[in-house]
Amino acid sequence: MDEVFKALADPTRRELLDQLFEQDGQTLSALEERLPMTRFGVMKHLKVLEEAGLVTTRKRGREKLHFLNPVPIRLIHDRWVSKYAAPWASALTELKRDIENEEKER
Amino acid sequence: MNDEQAYTVVGGRGSMTVFEIYIKTTPERLWEAITSEEMRKRYSFGVGTVSEWTEGSEYKSAVPGVVDIASGENLEVDPPRRLVQSFTALWSEDVQREGASRVTWEIEPVGTSCRLRVTHDQLAESANNELYGGWPMILSGLKTLLETGEDLDTPGSLRYSGAAG
Repeated sequence: MDEVFKALADPTRRELLDQLFEQDGQTLSALEERLPMTRFGVMKHLKVLEEAGLVTTRKRGREKLHFLNPVPIRLIHDRWVSKYAAPWASALTELKRDIENEEKER
Repeated sequence: MNDEQAYTVVGGRGSMTVFEIYIKTTPERLWEAITSEEMRKRYSFGVGTVSEWTEGSEYKSAVPGVVDIASGENLEVDPPRRLVQSFTALWSEDVQREGASRVTWEIEPVGTSCRLRVTHDQLAESANNELYGGWPMILSGLKTLLETGEDLDTPGSLRYSGAAG
């Protein structure tokens, strides 16, 4: 769990996760294009994310694709969102989604 | 599915999602937790899965008389390492329209633990995220069950438990 918090405590790494959330299964080259950073820098950050289990990879031919693995974040959620708090949290999430959908429809 | 297998990755979340979790258990216990109807209920929203678990056999996930969740075929059954299933979601008209996709369970021992990787692929280009959105909660509950013997008691994880008559 220390590794997950360490990995998330960096804006670039959160940005990489955002990019994978937007489009899962990207190559290093694709991610590099989306960030103002050297290939080496992106590789270094991806390695930290992989070690924390937040990013997992699969090979396709010669390409290595990166996938967002949200399970470690779910484990953190399940540890602290208690059975009492969760109905509120989930109702609030739904409310937020409803409001955002309404905004979008306008 | 081997790593060289062709698949397409497209816009949005993509047509393939991968979920990984490390669980302190043996491959045999993990296999049992995936294929036992009673154990499965305890970490899959209270939904049991029934099958003969042989290659080519069918499976069905449901709360009998309350809701059908999914059905499909066991395409590859290689205990305690690998299970490949076709997956057709049934819980709403929206997800039924998505048709069949594929779920691959891969168990690999790592030290005194196992890495479980669930790959959900052959999804439509912009598949309804309900199809794969339940995996993190299911895998978290599976870890809790195997490591502590207890049920994960967040409300969603027990959604249908006790619902069957």
